[in-house]
Amino acid sequence: MDIFGPVLNGFGVVLEPTNLLYCLIGVVIGMLIGVLPGLGPAATIAILLPLTYGVEPVTAIIMLSGIFYGAQYGGTITSVLLRLPGEASSVVTVFDGYALARQGRAGTALGIAAIGSFFGGTVSIIGLTLLAPIVAGFALSFGPPEYTALAMLGILLVATVSNGSKIKSIIAASVGLLLATVGRDGFTGESRFTFGSLSLSDGLDFVPIAMGIFGLGEILYNLEERHNKVQAPAKVANVWPSRKDLKESSGAIGRGSVLGFFLGILPGGGATIASLAAYAMEKKRAKNPERFGRGAVEGVAAPETANNAAATSSFIPLLTLGIPANATMAIIFGALLIQGVTPGPQLVQDNPELFWGVVNSMYIGNILLLIMSIPLVGVFVKILRIRAAILAPITVLITLIGVYTINNSIFDIWLVIAFGVLGYLMKKFGFEPGPLVLAFVLGSLLEENLRRSLLLFGGDPAGFVTRPISGVLLLLFLLVVLLPLLQKAVKKSRANRSLNTAPHKEKEKETV
Amino acid sequence: MIKSTFSRRSVLGAGTGLALALALTACGGNVAGNSAPSDGSKFPSGPVTLTIGAAPGGSTDLIGRALAENASAGLGAPIPVVNKPGANGALATKEVGGAKADGQTLVILNASLFAITPLAVSADEAVKIEDYEVITGISQDDYVLVTNAGSGLKTMEQLTKAGKKFNFATTGVGTGSQLAQALLFKQAGIDGTDVPFDGGAPAMTALLGNQVDVATIQLAEAMPQIKAGKLNPVVVFSKERNQYLADTPTAIEAGYDVPVSQFRAVAAPKGTPEPVLEKLRAAFKTAFASEAYKAFNKQNLFTAAENDGAQVAKDWAADAAKFKELAQKYDVDLGGGK
Repeated sequence: MDIFGPVLNGFGVVLEPTNLLYCLIGVVIGMLIGVLPGLGPAATIAILLPLTYGVEPVTAIIMLSGIFYGAQYGGTITSVLLRLPGEASSVVTVFDGYALARQGRAGTALGIAAIGSFFGGTVSIIGLTLLAPIVAGFALSFGPPEYTALAMLGILLVATVSNGSKIKSIIAASVGLLLATVGRDGFTGESRFTFGSLSLSDGLDFVPIAMGIFGLGEILYNLEERHNKVQAPAKVANVWPSRKDLKESSGAIGRGSVLGFFLGILPGGGATIASLAAYAMEKKRAKNPERFGRGAVEGVAAPETANNAAATSSFIPLLTLGIPANATMAIIFGALLIQGVTPGPQLVQDNPELFWGVVNSMYIGNILLLIMSIPLVGVFVKILRIRAAILAPITVLITLIGVYTINNSIFDIWLVIAFGVLGYLMKKFGFEPGPLVLAFVLGSLLEENLRRSLLLFGGDPAGFVTRPISGVLLLLFLLVVLLPLLQKAVKKSRANRSLNTAPHKEKEKETV
Repeated sequence: MIKSTFSRRSVLGAGTGLALALALTACGGNVAGNSAPSDGSKFPSGPVTLTIGAAPGGSTDLIGRALAENASAGLGAPIPVVNKPGANGALATKEVGGAKADGQTLVILNASLFAITPLAVSADEAVKIEDYEVITGISQDDYVLVTNAGSGLKTMEQLTKAGKKFNFATTGVGTGSQLAQALLFKQAGIDGTDVPFDGGAPAMTALLGNQVDVATIQLAEAMPQIKAGKLNPVVVFSKERNQYLADTPTAIEAGYDVPVSQFRAVAAPKGTPEPVLEKLRAAFKTAFASEAYKAFNKQNLFTAAENDGAQVAKDWAADAAKFKELAQKYDVDLGGGK
């Protein structure tokens, strides 16, 4: 079987000067818009679409996909420096990334994120090259029941990612779940909590909520804190991550790559779940989980690696099945149609040059991004040295303009302000914003797929356990719930048994 | 070398275009502040904004952008496109309905919003075609009923004789996909459960993965899978056979009274002076005639439906009445839970 011929031809396509140039343009634009909170890759690609009419299809898609994965690199920068996650998939990066920045280790966080992103992206492309045809079948067996189980698992993990009091994070998560119910019901057309406003009929958007709670809320809180002088990481050293940091995060990067790759394949956009799951996994594995949220390098490395891996592998359903996994993929789908290429099961056979050209351009693009981002980290870090009195209003302005440009909606600006106030109050009273935002994202996924599954099963919930994948996921769910209880029980019995031999040591462990 | 200067310039062009669009929307779309004379002699006074009630990348957006690109030369003014997604397009449509009636602010209308969505949502959320000046019809986007090729089901006859309960995927509540299938299954006496998905792509994914038994999606979305032999087209819901799928019968030919297509038109706020509408109509006519636009339609499998505005308004109102009557006759309730 001739597998490698077309792959090598693909490299030939990428290395044409025009294609290299467009790849560079794509990743630079992508990184830039990733830095600007609000203006996401989907909107940018849509705006730049007309630019691609005049060029070869493969060149066009190389540039557009460059924008997409370039934005994943850039998005980290605002999460770490400004506490503004531009996308759901960067929310968890905020926890440790921003903590690191406040300790003056923003450079380390960004450097690790860039290396992790490169690694995750590359692992995913290799996976894409080897597994694309095989994986195609797997993605389709993920139906509504499987998504239901996945969302339940995700919401459970939400509880474990936060650091503060359990009760408070459950309250925050519940608020998030409630916010997810706003909007026109997708099954009956009934309006829920819209108060007659058409702006609310599609429900609340993720971006204004995240920007308000994380971005504006943080700025408001800092203004108050300013008098107490806790602000400003004065010196930012070691832009290049130290050998120790690399060693600490190498495991997280490896695990994040694999996890991200598999979750990204799922239609429906696995990048968010991937980053969340990778973070939770690292926290579970860590010897001192309490470091997480206070500046653990793995807490940045794992989610950033996973979301980049997932972003890359989300090309698999598009290129092999003709199914766009998220909004950006939908636009790239449209771009391919404009070029007279129909993505679908026959793309690899009909257009091997395009398929392998695009896939292989990602190797090049990732190398370009790594080369650019490590030196540029120093430039971005300088933003932190600007006084809060100047930086705060600029950030607010960028946030509000950014959120406006997504839907051209003034209403979204009011939402950001409302959620900014909520974020400020939450922070003041010791509530973690993370569980709220993540539960909000997963809430609608859970509700829709649960109801859809029950329709498919004719109302019989037994179907969830009898289907292999959802059954396994639910088993995993049970394990995550029961494991801590079991561990406790085992520890207790062991402690009782060894009470006579080493009473002091065991007691110490238990109190930790 | 030539390529590189070209692309840099185009990036700049796109940047200024974006800035322009931003500046325009910041003014709330009312670009021409001073009162326009009703004879249309001053029209167009500056860019004409085309509002699209859907996110970038979907069919409505593609059509709007193709139209704007090909019509601006004929109009003698740039036509920036502004996306305002929300409530299936009702948000943008209502907003333009309330804009100044001077022809400087236009909107792409989806027929389903007027004819089908009102069957699913409360009355005050619905929009009425009478509140707009329809400039011209644009095109028709057909729905096709598909089954997984593995099921072996290829015709309506096989479906009715299967003697089983079908789960049918729709592209959402209050869409043509939902109405067409609900009516078809009721008329054919097939027991079916309506499973709404969030758009065409997830519905198709569910069908390819055998999560559901049948689905109705837009032709352009289904076509790659049909060509690859993964999906069987059973019927199309247009009144006449679709040119891109000429071997597939219509639902009407199969014996069922279900004529559902997605039509699109471009409109201005009610009360826009006739001479202004005339100028706009002429500009869109030249766009329709251009080779680039014709190629675009073919590429995206749209069928031209460039009827006169007045006729479009009449047709859509008639469709709305017909769908309401059919829904009552066959006891079809799109808002299933009510």
